[in-house]
Amino acid sequence: MQIIQTDLLCIGAGLAGERVAIEAAGNGFSVICLSLVPARRSHSSAAQGGMQAALGNCVMGEGDSPDVHFQDTVKGSDWGCDQEVARLFVDGGPIAMRQMAFWGVPWNRVVPGEHTYYKGGKPFTAIEKQEKEGLITARNFGGTAKWRTCYTSDGTGHAVLYTLDNKAAQMGVEVHDKTEAVALIHDGETCMGAIVRCLKTGELRAYLARATLVATGGFGRIYRESTNAVINDGGGLIVALDTGVAMLGNMEAVQFHPTGIVPTDILVTEGCRGDGGTLLDVNEYRFMPDYEPEKAELASRDVVSRRMTEHMRKGLGVKSAYGDHLWLDIRHLGEKHIRHNLREVDEICQSFLGRDPLYQLIPVRPTQHYSMGGLRTNKDGAAYGLKGLFSAGEAACWDMHGFNRLGGNSLAETIVAGMIVGGKVVEFLAGTDTVFKTKCVREAFDAQQGRIDRLLAGQNGAESAYAIRDAMFDSIMVGAGIFRNGRDLDECVKTLQVLHERAGRVGLRSDGLGANPEQALALKIQGMVKLALCVAYGALMRTESRGAHTREDFPERNDRDWLSRTLATWKDGADLPTLHYEPATQTFEIPPGDRGYGGGKIIPMQTEQGR
Amino acid sequence: MSLSTIATHRPVSPGLTAAYLDWLQMLTGAALILFMWCHMILVSSVIVGPGVMNAIAGFFEFTYMAQLGGPAIFAVFLVHFVLASRKIPFRTAEQKVMWANAKRLEHKDTWLWMVQAATAMVILVMGAIHMWVVLTDLPISAAKSAARIQTGWWLLFYLCLLPMVELHVGIGLYRIAVKWGFVGRKDRSGFKVKENSITYIFIGIGVLTLIRFMFLAVK
Amino acid sequence: MARTLRFNIFRYNPRNPASVAHMREYSLGETESMTLFIALNRIREEQDPSLQFDFCCRAGICGACAMVVNGKPGLACHTKTKDMPGEISLMPLPFFKLVGDLSVDTGSWFRGMYQKVESWVHTSKTFDPAAEEERMDNELAEKIYELDRCIECGCCVAACGTALMREDFLGAVALNRVARFLIDPRDERTEKEYFDVVGSDDGVFGCMGLLACEDVCPKDIPLQDQLGMLRRKMALAAVRGMLPKFLRKD
Repeated sequence: MQIIQTDLLCIGAGLAGERVAIEAAGNGFSVICLSLVPARRSHSSAAQGGMQAALGNCVMGEGDSPDVHFQDTVKGSDWGCDQEVARLFVDGGPIAMRQMAFWGVPWNRVVPGEHTYYKGGKPFTAIEKQEKEGLITARNFGGTAKWRTCYTSDGTGHAVLYTLDNKAAQMGVEVHDKTEAVALIHDGETCMGAIVRCLKTGELRAYLARATLVATGGFGRIYRESTNAVINDGGGLIVALDTGVAMLGNMEAVQFHPTGIVPTDILVTEGCRGDGGTLLDVNEYRFMPDYEPEKAELASRDVVSRRMTEHMRKGLGVKSAYGDHLWLDIRHLGEKHIRHNLREVDEICQSFLGRDPLYQLIPVRPTQHYSMGGLRTNKDGAAYGLKGLFSAGEAACWDMHGFNRLGGNSLAETIVAGMIVGGKVVEFLAGTDTVFKTKCVREAFDAQQGRIDRLLAGQNGAESAYAIRDAMFDSIMVGAGIFRNGRDLDECVKTLQVLHERAGRVGLRSDGLGANPEQALALKIQGMVKLALCVAYGALMRTESRGAHTREDFPERNDRDWLSRTLATWKDGADLPTLHYEPATQTFEIPPGDRGYGGGKIIPMQTEQGR
Repeated sequence: MSLSTIATHRPVSPGLTAAYLDWLQMLTGAALILFMWCHMILVSSVIVGPGVMNAIAGFFEFTYMAQLGGPAIFAVFLVHFVLASRKIPFRTAEQKVMWANAKRLEHKDTWLWMVQAATAMVILVMGAIHMWVVLTDLPISAAKSAARIQTGWWLLFYLCLLPMVELHVGIGLYRIAVKWGFVGRKDRSGFKVKENSITYIFIGIGVLTLIRFMFLAVK
Repeated sequence: MARTLRFNIFRYNPRNPASVAHMREYSLGETESMTLFIALNRIREEQDPSLQFDFCCRAGICGACAMVVNGKPGLACHTKTKDMPGEISLMPLPFFKLVGDLSVDTGSWFRGMYQKVESWVHTSKTFDPAAEEERMDNELAEKIYELDRCIECGCCVAACGTALMREDFLGAVALNRVARFLIDPRDERTEKEYFDVVGSDDGVFGCMGLLACEDVCPKDIPLQDQLGMLRRKMALAAVRGMLPKFLRKD
């Protein structure tokens, strides 16, 4: 058994993982990042839009402050977020953005003078102030009162990730790419690292670490239609759930993005709508203002997604070989804007659809996009249940997003949480020593080696991992898609339970040698079904509608009974998660109220005022 | 990939040698291109009339440019070969890689470079022979040139050398322009077209000149 | 429309002692809007689950899926089969170490490259969390981003005759990276320091100007212009000392 020891082990080398890694390395600790792919290929790089931070430099962001940002965030979360965490986030935002500028991110800057901007498809002019020249500027994003989304053209995630990975290289952070954590090493109380499969050779290694960070991003790939990269299969959450003690929070809170292109489900940025793109139906009629007179296409993305589905259900979608879709229209933004500011969107349309967005409409439909839920941590990023285990970014349920996150808040979260959790990890490393119990290491290693050996020997059965995955896709989209109801969810949970059992009997059709892709899926498929069950079962039990979680049979947001966070653990041998609940937030800066968009009734907190 | 070179903490200063040699390679190349153009003017003047060519040759003779310039050009020619050959693969493994790459890619500029490398070898030998023959039999005159071309295999020799040189010169000029950024991305394809036409025109003029020599009455 | 595509795919698993490098043929019915991402996944799931290849974002952003498609390095995810002949040959990128089949190890080479060219902002300043950010002209920010758009897919080095012959050659990706920091005022490196990084035959003077990099770059980064600019800048830096004083700029 090859053993590698380090102070901090980051599972995942996207923005959140690397930001924490840099903080630790900068304070003199050794850091190793594990990554399924070379760090710069992490899914963070695909986030085109931007990062929200209340800098208030651009004219449309004047008067912005962390307080305004805080209100937008809490409202956006449909009061499902932890308000203490949301406060930490909004206060840290401007510092984190400036730090990124200092490290090399080429943020777009304020250009003084008169500019033509678009809001809701209509052009208007505004004058950028001379004294703000050269400061970080911002663009408009859905669900915000001010323009506060910092960006670099159409590649914010890419630019920030490259800057961070440059910084990580400078700080001596080691990245072991093409590796996958298959289990955490723990004794039920303390996490001591991970058992890792090398995706170049197929060999297992043990990484011992005083602190372990899960930063593996979202788990969108339990859905077939997902904007997520193919690596976003929830690997970090699976190993955490497998400990039986770590908890996953709000797994039912899954966001769908309004504009995934058809058929490849590639995301075109919300920036399109922010800059004035409109949504059209089969008759090329702009329908959003009918549903949301004030915000129209710029309502938060759960609202837009739901309205789109609602509109398509009325038979007004565009029929295609890949199912119904709607049109996104950005033609009126002009050649310069489309070819330059929205270059990646332009490229996506031309390269993947063979359509020119300057002259043609873009086929879009709502697609799974973001997981608000994840490994539940406290405000320091420390996971519930296991000492020495941390989490940050989309993988974590830190929880500033509640039941819906705002565009631009998640990308900002990666570096703000990375900065804050990084600081806490440093405190932990400075103040805590860990005993590496060789028995735990050996047992964890043997257990994984045994799994692989049994798989290679075909001792478990002959179920196909791909067949199980496809059945899971079918089931979860019906049960836990955009609209949910008790009957479908019940059915979905039952189907997934069967799949969970079948996933235990997976066999290989290929030899399984080396970096065999079939083996990688076979080792993970049962875990993926477990995550799907956490989503579906959590959604079934939550009998209300909140944010992205929309129950047709319980359309009200129920603050009386459900102003809470779902916590899921998985007991050994069980076929369902065990659910617990905790209050959504311990402190209220803003008491629950109306979001101002999305409609829907609210059952208030105080029981005497309830129905 | 080489771990030995990437494991250094601070890059060791490479010194200025590579820069100087690159300068020299470019400057000798440019000088030879200029020379070849002048050379073409000299010999093709025979098309107008042997007297014109003799007059130009006489001028070079009188100013000692032929006696001194000739050997100097020969030296520049050799220096240019040595400098540029640092980039040409001589090891079998390298040659194989280069061939495989060119065949796989079907990329015009890569093929052009192969042409440049191959013509270089031919020019080294045939150019040297040509220069030896000419410089050991000064002064240059239309009649002597014609006599040479009308004897033995010399016509074939020049019919071979001519396109080699013009191709090498044409591609070389293009390469200098794009390598040093004198011609940017936007103008590259346009420049390439112009460069190609110049090469064809020069080959045409060269062939005409040879024909003229062929039928020039030798006394 | 409904063609049957023939794929010739390079197969070799270095971890299997019995494996021999060979090309294997697969047939697949073409469907509408098919890309190599869709095709390869179908081949793996329906015909050969051991087939190794890399995809990540499948949206042309991450650079994971670079491979040699009918002889040319490119991103498989945005290669549409309708633009291809009925026979498609797929090979792994040359230059990089083979992991298996179409999968190569780009990560190790690129991390080495970051260290070689010190791919980060060199500054003597320290970050002040309370201070306003340093101002920058928006046009300059966009210029930097233009060079920062590189996705490190490796196509430029895999197509580079120089890099294939001389494995220590930095390649267009690294030289472009240096150009990116060269125009960034936040990086305080001097011309001499940049020269030390790229002023050799392993660096910009090794470039033979084949321009395959420029022609295969899937992100259309102006590599030719960057290589030319760097060569001039570095060459001038080398002779600046020889110039009479009144001609020296620095």
